[in-house]
Amino acid sequence: MTRVKLISAWFGGALLLAGAVGILESGAADVFLEATRPDFQKISLGVAEIANTGGSDWLAGRIEEVLKHDVRRSLVFDLVDLPGLGIQMADVRNGKGAGSKAVFKQAAEKGVSVLVWGTATWKAVGDQSDVNMEGFVYDSGSDEVVGGKRYAGSPSVVRQMAHRFADELVFRYTGEPGIARTKIAYVAQQGTARELFVMDYDGYDTRQLTADGFLNLMPQWSPDRRFLIFTAYRNRNTQDIDMIELATGKRWTVISFGGLNITPALSPDGNFLAFASSYEGNSEIYRLDTRTKAIQRLTVNPSGDLSPSWSPNGRELVFVSDRGGGPQLFLMSSDGSNVRRLTFEGDYNAAPVWSPRGNWIAYVCRTHREYKLCIISPDGQKRTQLTTGPGIDDSPSWSPDGRHLAFSSTADGKSHIYMIDADGKGRERLTFQGTHNSAPSWSPAS
Amino acid sequence: MNRTLWTCGSVLVMGIALISMPGCSKKSVQSGGDSQSTQGMAKGGTDSSKSGVGSFPDTGVQSGGGGLRGLDKNPSEERLGSGTMLAKEDPSGSAGRQMDEISRAEQAASAAAGLRDVFFGYDSWVISEEGRQSLSHDAEWMKSNPNALVKVEGHCDERGTGAYNFVLGEKRAKAARNYLVELGVAANRLSVVSYGKERPACNEHAESCYQQNRRGRILIKSGK
Repeated sequence: MTRVKLISAWFGGALLLAGAVGILESGAADVFLEATRPDFQKISLGVAEIANTGGSDWLAGRIEEVLKHDVRRSLVFDLVDLPGLGIQMADVRNGKGAGSKAVFKQAAEKGVSVLVWGTATWKAVGDQSDVNMEGFVYDSGSDEVVGGKRYAGSPSVVRQMAHRFADELVFRYTGEPGIARTKIAYVAQQGTARELFVMDYDGYDTRQLTADGFLNLMPQWSPDRRFLIFTAYRNRNTQDIDMIELATGKRWTVISFGGLNITPALSPDGNFLAFASSYEGNSEIYRLDTRTKAIQRLTVNPSGDLSPSWSPNGRELVFVSDRGGGPQLFLMSSDGSNVRRLTFEGDYNAAPVWSPRGNWIAYVCRTHREYKLCIISPDGQKRTQLTTGPGIDDSPSWSPDGRHLAFSSTADGKSHIYMIDADGKGRERLTFQGTHNSAPSWSPAS
Repeated sequence: MNRTLWTCGSVLVMGIALISMPGCSKKSVQSGGDSQSTQGMAKGGTDSSKSGVGSFPDTGVQSGGGGLRGLDKNPSEERLGSGTMLAKEDPSGSAGRQMDEISRAEQAASAAAGLRDVFFGYDSWVISEEGRQSLSHDAEWMKSNPNALVKVEGHCDERGTGAYNFVLGEKRAKAARNYLVELGVAANRLSVVSYGKERPACNEHAESCYQQNRRGRILIKSGK
């Protein structure tokens, strides 16, 4: 309930957004779902010019472009075309003059709820360069410039300035941290090796993490975003589960049993690691208490059990088992009890991931021998196929706001990383380099 | 972060010899991992809480808010750090190159010995009649070379999920191993490893290529 109150406060009496009243009245349980509901009314937001106030010509345009993409991908805002509405922002610069008043009035009349503009400056400081960005927000509901942000940093963080400002906008209007500063870890082919990489959620600023020249696979984030946990072949005969610390590149082995050791997943509180191992025979799911190192075997079945994914409250796991022949999704409590089958449609359902909001489980479904993305509600009542067309889709991973999925697909020939809205729209390709990019994992929000 | 967990000393105190901590001896990492066979671990039984588990940092979320400070009517300057905090692992790459060399050596030795791979149908780990003939041939070779150790690698084509293909690859490798045991090869001369669809022999999106990748690769184990 505190969350509801906070959101009410941020809405400032909910004057600016008529739809918000309905959302808040619909009950606490729905508050987390508000912007994934089909009837969610997006907030109309216009990004006016980010003006160059000194230095490089490309700078302001770059910030404006990144900011607009972030606003659009937030799915909280409806990015309006201001020139298309006949709104010119040329003299709004300080937000105080008569010219700005006229523009604000115009925007309010055209139904634009939020106006955003700013400046960008590039200046030399000694032999270094420094970038400054200012962003301002006018809110037509309260008819005032509600505030702004000022950022400074090296030219290498220009995109981060736009991302950070976009997240501030999402935060102000939803109370959520936004996804513009999130990252996606993935696996990229390098010769015969597969190494872990991390990129910004929009596909930029790619960094390599592992470099052992062998196979590093299926990364997952720790809840605090500081580590990746993944499957690695440290020699040619056994697999381990390793962790790597992003800030330092320090890497070590956390599970080194025999046989398969795959699909690690840390619980939302970080206290448990669920993973699949075949060290006792066939692939079974285990749960390790990361503090006491006690291991509990959760599945007991002669078939293959793998790919555990935690519910957001940590009480349940969805996993894959081929106990019925082909792989299907099953649910169980996090102690291994109360196992029940979730999917019945099709003969191949695998790679499940529970959405951060808890209301959906995304997975790979096979229809007509094509491997596509599907979502199913945890009660099994609702099921939708999200992707269609050619190519093998694999490894869905939810954005932390539950509004997007990252996945790999061979739709364009080689395997690359894509993102898609949770309703199957807005498909966007994120990687363009390399011969094989796979296994994306979307970071938690910061 | 609990820094004591990071020190090599504490790892030794905990008696966990199989952990590869950066800064710890790389040699012990490799020999430790290599000495640990599937069969060896299986004997460990269900009491695995002491063996083969490394150290865990606290990964719970300590602070909320996402570092956002909110909009301000008179915003003060926020200076953003230069770039994201991401460091690459100490770039050795030598492990992988070594592996590739061993891999090539094993394949060459296995080809010279005339060992035959076994191929599988779509979604299947059933050994075909042709596969049984190949494995019979391999079993005869193993009987006349009683000191040789053989590894069965399970591979899959690119269809299906990466995760499930590890299980499928292991089922294929074990099916081949079990048939070799049926033919009288001692089980302790055979090991299995699954590569799922991560080390394909062929990279085209075509059935002719898929057939080659649905494979149980029979390799003479050389050294480590």
